[in-house]
Amino acid sequence: MTVPVTSYLLVALILFCVGLYGALTKRNAVIVLLSIELMLNAVNLNLIAFAKFGLHPAITGQIFSLFTMTVAAAEVAVGIAVLIALYRNRETVNVDEMDTMKR
Amino acid sequence: MDANNLFSVEWTYLRPEMIVLGGAVLLALLDLLAGRRLPRQLFGWLALVSVVLAGAAIWQNIQTVGQPIGFMADMLRIDSFGNAFKLLFVSGVAFTFLLSFSHLQRDAIPHHGEYSYLLLIGLLGAMVMASSADLITMFVGLELLSLSSYILVGIRKHRLASNESAFKYVVSGGIASAFTLFGMSYLYGLSGTTNLHEMTSRIGQAANSGFGAMVLISFVFLVAGLTFKIAAAPNHMWAPDVYQGAPTPVTAYLAVVSKAAGFALIVRLVLLAYGGVLTEQGQSLLLTELSGYLSIIAGLTMMIGNLMALRQVHLKRLMAYSGIAHAGYLLIPFVSLTQLSFEQVIFYLLAYLVGTFGLFAAIETISRDQRTEELKGFAGLYHRAPVLAVAVTILVVSLAGLPVTAGFFGKFYLLMSALANGRYWLTAIMLATSTISFFYYFGFIRQMYMRSGETEASVKIPAGAAFIIGVAALATLLGGLFPGLPSEFIHQHFNSGFDLGGIMKPGE
Repeated sequence: MTVPVTSYLLVALILFCVGLYGALTKRNAVIVLLSIELMLNAVNLNLIAFAKFGLHPAITGQIFSLFTMTVAAAEVAVGIAVLIALYRNRETVNVDEMDTMKR
Repeated sequence: MDANNLFSVEWTYLRPEMIVLGGAVLLALLDLLAGRRLPRQLFGWLALVSVVLAGAAIWQNIQTVGQPIGFMADMLRIDSFGNAFKLLFVSGVAFTFLLSFSHLQRDAIPHHGEYSYLLLIGLLGAMVMASSADLITMFVGLELLSLSSYILVGIRKHRLASNESAFKYVVSGGIASAFTLFGMSYLYGLSGTTNLHEMTSRIGQAANSGFGAMVLISFVFLVAGLTFKIAAAPNHMWAPDVYQGAPTPVTAYLAVVSKAAGFALIVRLVLLAYGGVLTEQGQSLLLTELSGYLSIIAGLTMMIGNLMALRQVHLKRLMAYSGIAHAGYLLIPFVSLTQLSFEQVIFYLLAYLVGTFGLFAAIETISRDQRTEELKGFAGLYHRAPVLAVAVTILVVSLAGLPVTAGFFGKFYLLMSALANGRYWLTAIMLATSTISFFYYFGFIRQMYMRSGETEASVKIPAGAAFIIGVAALATLLGGLFPGLPSEFIHQHFNSGFDLGGIMKPGE
């Protein structure tokens, strides 16, 4: 039994939307960073599915996904580091309390 | 170029990138091994030297390279398009280092080593963005620039404003890069390659064989993500907060280098990936239809930037909205492509670079002198430092786009290209919003000449800032008096074949 490529794409799209919803609505900054990871993982799913079932199947997609994963890890590391610095100054991880610059 | 092994490749053309990378690695090692014992200014000077050397290497490439040269199937390539942008980045980063000398002296940034090599790594990322024709290297370059600028924004880690703006930057940047990547993954799926030159024809085939909807979806995702880097309409909200919290030299760097790099990436990616797609009637390029949507973004960006800037009193927030407005202007030549678009973009970016850096140097001087980052810090400047006030006037007039400055001709060229393409409503929006921008740009002039400041004491201008302001004001004036010189220079060195700096040709 083969799974058609559209189901992979659909799962990836749903994952992306869940991630976007989480990134835009959650209060906790750690959850926001996690949701961004979900969005990036949706991309990985796409790339891998296309590498096997795309219009012109090629290994490049898997290579690309390796780069994506590495960069995503670096990005979340920077995010957590900034968050820890923020926590030390403000003692909060709630996104809605980061509003000192509103005017 | 048929690369069978590493040694058959002509690596010498990659000297600019190698110098920047080498400088960054050297500084990182120095900081690790002897960070505390070395004089603080050393890091900045070493970094500045490597930036200048990289500029010289780019200049050498411009003289010797005619046809585009590709490395590893165009993962990196040396062409006139990339060279022109790289020259802009290098001068921008050199200005950033000059500006940061006074900032570092004040002990505002505790980590001199990190600060210097992160700027260099960001420069490397920008150079890769401007000179790659492959999705993978483009993305890695983009993230190299993004990640280093997240840290640079938050480098004053004991300040709440700095932390907060860095976190906002990370989150909005992460979402934007996820959008970009999602669009890229669709492009890859439809073409089976990450090479942009192969992609041109394959995306065209895919669009003709019933995948037109997916081509459009990928375009929407890509544009939604990429507008983040240039701070254009749907993705501009981060700019004021991030600019406010970042150290002033980093703000100037974000406003110029990061924006220009994003622009280089968008132009190459969109033109190459969608350049081969015909519309359903098979008559015209899809790109001409898509540029209608891009012109909506351009119009919205101009309106939002200029209208929101009107009510700002904080200097950096004001500059952020002014930068948003300029991103809108810069999209015009891209929307209405002509053979001269490339000259127009580079000329405008040049005028924007000197104007913005000069003004940021003045802002740094004033905010240091008055201990406020608000517009009222400029009050009575004419009576305290007349030369500085006149220089700032020239820069502000250039950013507003009034005559006898480089900014006027930059805007004039954009206006002509929009008119030549018959985009009348875009022209109208540009003229109207430029008029609106006079109000807030003249806020500087009103403060300097017509308000009285709290003191009459003369202002002490740090050497680095004085140098930048002097060079910027002079260049702005000369660009306004003799606009032919820079245009002719750009045309001769970067666009002599009227082919957008040779981006369409695969590298040899």
